[in-house]
Amino acid sequence: MSFELNDFEEMMAKCSYCAFCQATCPVFLQDLLETHMPRARMSLAKACLVENTIPRTKHLEEILDRCLLCGNCERTCPAGIKVNDIVVAARKSMYKGKRKTFLERNFLNSFMQKRGMDWLHRTAFAVAKKIGRVPDGILNPRAQTFSKQFTGVFPAKGEKRATVAYFVGCATNSSYVETGKALLNVFTKNGIEVIVPEGLLCCGMPAIVEGDTETAYNMFMHNVRIFHKMEVDAVVTDCTTCGLMFKENGAKLAPAGTPLLEKVQGVAAKMWEATDYLNHLGLVDPPNQLDTKFTYHVPCHRAWSPTLAEAPRDVARQVPGAELCEMAEPESCCGAGGTFFVQHEELSGGIRGKKKAMIEDTGANTILTQCPACRGYLAAGCEEKVVMHPLDFLAQAYGVLDKTPQPKK
Amino acid sequence: MKGLENDLAELVGHGSLKTEPEDMFAYQSDATHYFAKGMPDAVVLPTSTEEVAAVVSYANKNQVPVTPRGAGSGLSGGCTPVKGGIVLDMKRMNKILEINRGNMTASVDAGVVLANFHKAVESQGLFYPPDPQSMTVCTIGGNVATRAGGPRGVKYGTTPHYVLGVEAVLPDGYIIQAGGKCVKQSVGYDLTHLFAGSEGTLGVITKANLRIMPLPPCHRTALVTCKSIEQAAEMVSEIIAAGTVPAMLELLMGMSVHVMNSMISPPAPIDGEAYLLMDIDGSESQVAEDSETLQTICRDMGAMEVRVIEDEKEAKTYWKARSSLYPLALTMAKKVVAEDVTVPRDKVPVFVREVQAMAGRLGLLVGLSGHAGDGNMHPTILYGEVNEEQEKLARQAISQIVRIGLALGGTISGEHGIGLHKSEYLEWDLGGAQIELMKRVKNAFDPNGIMNPGKLWLQGGAS
Ligand SMILES: Cc1cc2nc3c(=O)[nH]c(=O)nc-3n(C[C@H](O)[C@H](O)[C@H](O)COP(=O)(O)OP(=O)(O)OC[C@H]3O[C@@H](n4cnc5c(N)ncnc54)[C@H](O)[C@@H]3O)c2cc1C
Repeated sequence: MSFELNDFEEMMAKCSYCAFCQATCPVFLQDLLETHMPRARMSLAKACLVENTIPRTKHLEEILDRCLLCGNCERTCPAGIKVNDIVVAARKSMYKGKRKTFLERNFLNSFMQKRGMDWLHRTAFAVAKKIGRVPDGILNPRAQTFSKQFTGVFPAKGEKRATVAYFVGCATNSSYVETGKALLNVFTKNGIEVIVPEGLLCCGMPAIVEGDTETAYNMFMHNVRIFHKMEVDAVVTDCTTCGLMFKENGAKLAPAGTPLLEKVQGVAAKMWEATDYLNHLGLVDPPNQLDTKFTYHVPCHRAWSPTLAEAPRDVARQVPGAELCEMAEPESCCGAGGTFFVQHEELSGGIRGKKKAMIEDTGANTILTQCPACRGYLAAGCEEKVVMHPLDFLAQAYGVLDKTPQPKK
Repeated sequence: MKGLENDLAELVGHGSLKTEPEDMFAYQSDATHYFAKGMPDAVVLPTSTEEVAAVVSYANKNQVPVTPRGAGSGLSGGCTPVKGGIVLDMKRMNKILEINRGNMTASVDAGVVLANFHKAVESQGLFYPPDPQSMTVCTIGGNVATRAGGPRGVKYGTTPHYVLGVEAVLPDGYIIQAGGKCVKQSVGYDLTHLFAGSEGTLGVITKANLRIMPLPPCHRTALVTCKSIEQAAEMVSEIIAAGTVPAMLELLMGMSVHVMNSMISPPAPIDGEAYLLMDIDGSESQVAEDSETLQTICRDMGAMEVRVIEDEKEAKTYWKARSSLYPLALTMAKKVVAEDVTVPRDKVPVFVREVQAMAGRLGLLVGLSGHAGDGNMHPTILYGEVNEEQEKLARQAISQIVRIGLALGGTISGEHGIGLHKSEYLEWDLGGAQIELMKRVKNAFDPNGIMNPGKLWLQGGAS
């Protein structure tokens, strides 16, 4: 199993200490403390966990936990050092899959298996929410998840241009059910047949964040086995993080030399973020007028497709009356980082505050973004704005937001 | 160190103070970590001049070393806390206080990141030329303290040419306002420019007043492919002599362009042994005229290709890759030591020839990609392996490079400063009398020797 810190030794030696990673690390830019810059995270991990020259302390754990895994450092590092992966490897080495408490791990595992909350967890959630113990930005779980309602084949309207399999992200499955519906409606309207398989699990990314690569790999391979068998033109997901998992991280998890790698790469090659794929094929059905000013927040997990960040702008611009108002730094982090904001309330709040100011400056009333975590967290911070997935936006323009898609009998 | 921690906490509060070992670990060095490290006892992150003054005068009373620090991107070990004590991290003092169009000046806190300042003035059609290649992270305070420069040095000069005044905290806690906002000043000793290049050894710069100018409306990038590095070097001298000065004029060796290509798209040609990368700026007609002149010079001198990069986006990838050359070099070598020897521009061709010959004799790989337009060549030792033998050879090479440069009327540092890295050669450059005088200056500012001890000259601060 990969993400072994020792495997990164040669790469870590390529760090010139140039400090360029200060420029884009959201945690550093908020704390303005060099301990919290990628260079320090990496060299502390190396000193403690590879060279054993400094002791493992609580503070060291805090430092390695204080990373959103946004990947900005990797995109900024001229030497191409995979600092993000190094942090994951460090967590793996430190925690051996037990970063969180037993109860938290238990809950996370159940969520990843069920792609939502069961009755017991939902009840607990409702109680916690009532007494104010659920941080703003945590999404409300639904009993009627997407996959409980919508599986099967959703045929294309008109001439069929392509067939895709849909990997619905957990957050969409459990909370943003309307986005899943929007995908089905918008795709089928544009001549794309969508197949939603049954029995999917979480993509595995939340386990990677914990450094629990074994759980991540098992979940991931379960899904790969399902998609590998399907004869489709593409596999699409509404979530940029799930996409990253399939496109890049899966192969990193696979043990060296495994014959399964071919399957992993086969699915990875077909993986698209849904808006990106739709834009790649082009809209055939022209959207209706929607008079609105919108801005686009680029999710951190964007580098796995070169067109992922342009696609929402491209398709939304085709909506008559919709005006794109770019914010100063569309690519800067919003502070969510999956559930990072729950443990780092003040830090994340500060990061979001900067984003919010940029959004305010645009005068837009709608924020588009493909990442459900960004979406929930931005919505909680920008209460007067509507935050939606680009496909929701299109569905609205098509007037199909409330339509219930029907699978082929 | 509990006493120090408690005392400092009283002065600045716990939020601006770090003392845990992991934090000290993160502040051990600058970009020359391979050369020297030092653990501070405390890191203080001040947010006001008053806090700086309180900490510095406390340190002065108690004889605790103080090392000012910007981004820690230095290439001389300048902010490496070799004697422990307090590191003053200035990055939280990061406000742009004023951009004054009527006077063409700006005032900034010392911790302002250069790229943020660039962005702020450029958004108003204004221009602050100094461009050390670490600009996405380095601070104005660090720039002033090292006299930082960059590719634009050839036409626009370096940081000190833009500094009109500084606010600084002296070791006894006094806050001085040296210079001001006037573009001419003639009052007593020029203390402003004593702080320029002071490397944190005289006091802490807390603010700077900077000259700015209108942003040139137009610019164009060109890449000249050369048969040999000697040919490229001769072109540089010829261009300078012709009087048509590009805004940037960089010499790049073939191997540099090779590694830079990981960031350039579409990739640059790789058939040359060396290249000139230049940027021409000014009004549209000026740019058109200058680029004709420069193209003619390069063609007449036998360039293999002169390529004007019309696409702005593509041109940007060249300059971004250029600014990343130092970290990129480590992808092809096991260790990289960048020197900063600078020679008069008419001596660039001789310097290149002699360094090449010396490298050949020692069997070492020496890069000569640098700001050739201002004679700042950045001879760089690229290690194939890291071992005693190589280290010995590298030391030999460096001292020979320094000798070659000095013999040509050059200097050991054009922009990085002396710090720890170059103190060995300070005497060769300045001679004993000047160093003695500098020590007396240092003593006048900092009689207890608390400011950045161990830097500039060998063995300790004021003596
Ligand atoms: C990849 C790379 C490229 C580079 N390219 C260039 C280049 O093109 N040109 C160039 O000139 N340099 C270059 N440098 C070197 C370096 O970035 C510059 O010297 C820069 O000016 C340092 O700024 P800093 O904020 O990082 O200062 P630091 O490295 O933190 O400090 C540098 C020195 O200044 C002192 N200092 C810092 N702030 C203050 C203050 N407020 N008051 C008093 N003293 C202070 C420190 O004590 C130290 O002696 C490069 C470095 C890297 C890593």
